[in-house]
Amino acid sequence: MPSPESATVLNLAILGAASLSGIAGISARNAFLRRLGVSLTVLAFAGQTLMLLLGFHKTLPNGLSLGAYSQLLAWFVLLGGIIVWRRLRQPTPLLFSSPLCLALFAISLLCLDTAVTLPPSLQSSFYALHIGALFSSLGLLTIAFFAGLLFLSLEGRIKNKQRMPGFWQDMPAISLLDRINAFTVLAAFPLYTVGIISGLVWAGPVFGASVTGDPKEVMSIAIWLIFGVLFHNRLIKNWKGRKPARWTVLVFFLCLFSIVVVNTIMNTHHAFVRG
Amino acid sequence: MESDICLVGINHRTAGVDVRERFALADCCDMERWALPCVGSIRESLILSTCNRVELLAAGKGDVTGQMLQCWARARKARISDIQPYVYIHRSLEAVRHVFSVASSLDSMVLGEPQILGQMKAAYRKAAACRTTGVILNRLLHKSFSVAKRVRTETAVASNAVSISYAAVELAKRIFGDMRRHKVLLVGAGEMAELAAMHLLQNGVDEILVANRTHARGEDLARQFQGRAVPFERLADFLPSVDIVITSTGSPEPIIRARDVRAVLRARKNSPMFFIDIAVPRDIDPDVNSLDNVYLYDIDDLKEVVEENIAGRRDEAERAREIVNEEVAAFAGWLATLDVQPTLVQLVGRGERLASEEVAKTLKRLGNDDKNLREALEIMACSLVRKLHHDPIMFLKHGCAHQESNNSRISAIRRIFNLDSNT
Repeated sequence: MPSPESATVLNLAILGAASLSGIAGISARNAFLRRLGVSLTVLAFAGQTLMLLLGFHKTLPNGLSLGAYSQLLAWFVLLGGIIVWRRLRQPTPLLFSSPLCLALFAISLLCLDTAVTLPPSLQSSFYALHIGALFSSLGLLTIAFFAGLLFLSLEGRIKNKQRMPGFWQDMPAISLLDRINAFTVLAAFPLYTVGIISGLVWAGPVFGASVTGDPKEVMSIAIWLIFGVLFHNRLIKNWKGRKPARWTVLVFFLCLFSIVVVNTIMNTHHAFVRG
Repeated sequence: MESDICLVGINHRTAGVDVRERFALADCCDMERWALPCVGSIRESLILSTCNRVELLAAGKGDVTGQMLQCWARARKARISDIQPYVYIHRSLEAVRHVFSVASSLDSMVLGEPQILGQMKAAYRKAAACRTTGVILNRLLHKSFSVAKRVRTETAVASNAVSISYAAVELAKRIFGDMRRHKVLLVGAGEMAELAAMHLLQNGVDEILVANRTHARGEDLARQFQGRAVPFERLADFLPSVDIVITSTGSPEPIIRARDVRAVLRARKNSPMFFIDIAVPRDIDPDVNSLDNVYLYDIDDLKEVVEENIAGRRDEAERAREIVNEEVAAFAGWLATLDVQPTLVQLVGRGERLASEEVAKTLKRLGNDDKNLREALEIMACSLVRKLHHDPIMFLKHGCAHQESNNSRISAIRRIFNLDSNT
């Protein structure tokens, strides 16, 4: 049986090939390379699913390391992309997300050893729910981000009557990109809410209070509020097009800040990923 | 060369429509009236007669072009001197290049238009039915179809609309994607607007509504588009239910204003709308384009899109010409093997004959007519001949690309192997 390191390297190679082929297919307007990119991305997802099922990450489900954290995040991003591809018949956001997953995998390779097992006092079913719900929400949000970004670029060109040379010709219609954004945002926010609530419930007995003023807590609640505005306006006020796309980009960057800066630099309960 | 390829023709660049009409051969391309019979110098022939070009293609030996012009003039009851001022003549590889360029739509009035390939295929079918095509034209035409396909796949010479109505449809597709669930409102009647509506209908839009100041005219148009006429005065009531609006009225004032569209958007729950204003003066307030989820293109915007697309096609045509040049070189190689072919056949035939004679002599000398022995000797003799011929055959084939060296190689092999004697 391969070790976690060799399996990660193998998956990294498949994702690398998927990213190269997908991006080359998009920039060179080559349908075969795009299809190959999608197939390899799905293969990488299947490989990673197998790794998770075979328990390659010994820290899961009762602990986490930056390596497992990155790989799990990449898995949920790919899952989000595959759901959108199958449901809305549009693989472009999946192709755009594969280089991001590749980067997450490359980071994970450097920190597979730094595993931290949670003390028994922190282990509970709320932990799995908290991580599962938040990561699936982040996976969908990443796909919403790519759809939103693509929408803003393409819509800007149509609105301003600019030329659409090269790969712009093969990009999906802006209505479809807006639908992808709506689908992923509407699915991601409830999951994010479940993740936040389960975290707060879990924090009560563990840290003595649900809200302790931890920087990660503050950041997550702030993101939840902004995300809530986007969700509410999408659902109730019929926000469509440019406005929700911009808000999605904002929420994604706030999440990115929360993961990259808060988790790894600030003094927080979530700093455990540093090992 | 054993057989030369010749092409004579007139097209939109060399002759006006009256001349093209006069010398068209559309009615001379069937069994009963084939204008270019395969007699005299002409061994194979094909006629392409479209509204923009009349071209005669032939393969033969001798004064092929002279005979082609003669046949053409005779078919049109004219003198050769009547056609000559407008005619272009291509021979050998220039003719091949021209055929490939025409099939790839690089010689068309509208660069990259797709009809010419279909017209060439139809012309080839007619010539094949009249049994006037042979080895050379069959290969040339099939190759030209594959070159056209390669050009279309590897370059963007045929992509992007080059007419205003198509440009409008392409933009609608960029906004809405699948057109099947979308409705169109045609306001007023103008040739370009009707054409755009027709293209949208061909792309599968759900329904076309027509609003015209003259309701009877509106009903006529609605019938034409299998849609329905709506009263012009109640235009605002129908706007929320349509996704694409094409306007082409003679109104001196805008008939759709930004404030109207803002209300419409609320009623549509912000679903996107595409306005195509083909009227001059404009029918739609330009401020409409500043609203979210609304896209407005007027006639100048569409013209600009078309001009950019045409420029884009011109850039791509350069790449397409490189592909054509590559394919012409490959075809030249094949063409040259035609000259080598008779020598190759003779060389191999001579070898086989000698092998068979030597086997018979050896068997006679041995006085043994055993079947197994005969088979073994035949295999050995043939194998020996094949091995001896391998290098001379390679020597001949490698010279194919250059006509001059090809002829000297053929001559050398014929002399070395004494292929021109009767023994």
